[in-house]
Amino acid sequence: MPCLAIKNVSKAFGGLKAIDNASFSIEAGELVGLIGPNGSGKTTLLNILSGHLSCDSGSVELDGKPITGLRPEVLARHGVLRMFQLTRSFPRMSAFDNLMVTGCALGLSQGDAEKRAMKLLEDLSLTRIMGLDAGQLSGGQMKLLEFGSCFMVPPRIALLDEPFAAVHPTLKEIMSGFIRSRHAEGQTFIVVSHDMPVVVELCPRSVCMNAGRVIADEATRTVLSDKVVIEAYLGEAAA
Amino acid sequence: MAATQPTNTRLKVEFAVSLVLLAAVAALPAVVTNAYWQGVIIVSMYFAMLSIAWNLLAGDTGQFSLAPATFGMLGAYTTGLLSYYYGTGAAIGVPAAIIVSGGVGLLLGRIVLRLRGPYLALTTLSFAEIMRLVISNSIDFTRGDLGLNVPGIFQGRLPYYYLFVIVLLVTQIGLFYLLRSRAGLFLRAIRDDEIAAASRGVRIVYWKTFAFTLSAAISGLAGALYGHFAQFVSPELGLISQTGIVISMVVIGGLGTMVGPLAGALLVYVASEFLRDSGNWQLVIFSLLVIVFARFFRQGLWGILLSAFDRKPARPASPATATE
Repeated sequence: MPCLAIKNVSKAFGGLKAIDNASFSIEAGELVGLIGPNGSGKTTLLNILSGHLSCDSGSVELDGKPITGLRPEVLARHGVLRMFQLTRSFPRMSAFDNLMVTGCALGLSQGDAEKRAMKLLEDLSLTRIMGLDAGQLSGGQMKLLEFGSCFMVPPRIALLDEPFAAVHPTLKEIMSGFIRSRHAEGQTFIVVSHDMPVVVELCPRSVCMNAGRVIADEATRTVLSDKVVIEAYLGEAAA
Repeated sequence: MAATQPTNTRLKVEFAVSLVLLAAVAALPAVVTNAYWQGVIIVSMYFAMLSIAWNLLAGDTGQFSLAPATFGMLGAYTTGLLSYYYGTGAAIGVPAAIIVSGGVGLLLGRIVLRLRGPYLALTTLSFAEIMRLVISNSIDFTRGDLGLNVPGIFQGRLPYYYLFVIVLLVTQIGLFYLLRSRAGLFLRAIRDDEIAAASRGVRIVYWKTFAFTLSAAISGLAGALYGHFAQFVSPELGLISQTGIVISMVVIGGLGTMVGPLAGALLVYVASEFLRDSGNWQLVIFSLLVIVFARFFRQGLWGILLSAFDRKPARPASPATATE
């Protein structure tokens, strides 16, 4: 049974088909890249998976159970944790408390949450700034903090939307190192990214979307040399 | 662990200062022996309760309601009507007031659940005006603008004075423990970013409704006690200008802090007594103060005090190096 199964999901905004009959599934422990040109529907799909949008048709299953239409806070409790493309944090709470919110909301005791928060801050080299309000952090640190927030309680699946965009190379290295080590421990991921070198390096398998449709779903290197994929990114002439 | 928990340290300092403030208020009757001025301080403590309740909702949870005075009025009328029709005293009236206003707060919280910012403010404002108009026009039931006489609890001013001090103390202690628990984390998370809070698993509906209910219940308690103190309730308790005073108290004192509402209410109300002769000018002055504070001193008087205090000791270059 796949960890996450997306079955014939469609979503339209007025006349625009943002997601057009998309289907694919992810096995437990997989690290899958979700790629595609701007406007291809990647973020919309993540919004549906994390409960921030409802889909018009189709269904999503987590461990064989339907989760279509559940609210974000319910999905988070089921272990679907999500990082936003435009960073979302609690700007007037300390970095430490930002992590505590997730830990406590997902059912840890305050003592356990404190221990995990300290460990995560250390793993992500954020210990130095943990007393600062999240609003005072740099863009990259804020992103790293939101990233860390997804792992306060090991999620069933982590949905990362552009974690590497506009992030300093050092922080990017911290993040991808963290993803690699968690993946080695069996953590399941979907990573949306435009950063192809990182996707190639991190994700054994990639799903490519274009105009709302899944146009390729194979080993990452095969996907990137796929004629249809190159055409989608660069236009017909290049392919 | 204190160094790792800046929020809790902040809370502890605010709580301690608010206790000192309450102790000072408790000691005041030794100096202020004039019954009139003792009455002024009692009313300012009524406003302090409303301010604390509103601050829980607006300052800690980010729900900018415009109905704090309305819940005070509901509490006052609950005990007022009970005593008018059934001859009950405060022992039944006050708990009933807490339950009724808390219940109405719960309903309102559910209704405005998906509203934010100006939409929330306008909806709660219309709710406030509707409640006031219903009470002032249900002449057969509430005697309308004539108001209701409410039996007192004590003889003389001082027992009321200390009743308000004790209730304020208990409220502050309760809120301190609430805000330092996980509930405090969730409320502040909702204030800062509701979508982020939901996506991290915070039960938005539950905690927003909780904040509305608790805030309304505290306001209702304040209103009921005020009714028994003044021995009279009228729809004027729910006037929008009363809500305006509550908001100005919190903004001037310091929104989202434990000291702000308490200090703001005491200062603003006592100051307004000195301005009483100038009639409506006091509203103009407070409105101007609110604008100045909202524009230049977002943290209110408490924030000004903190930053003045912060500058004195030479701070280390990096404020968060103490991580053992």
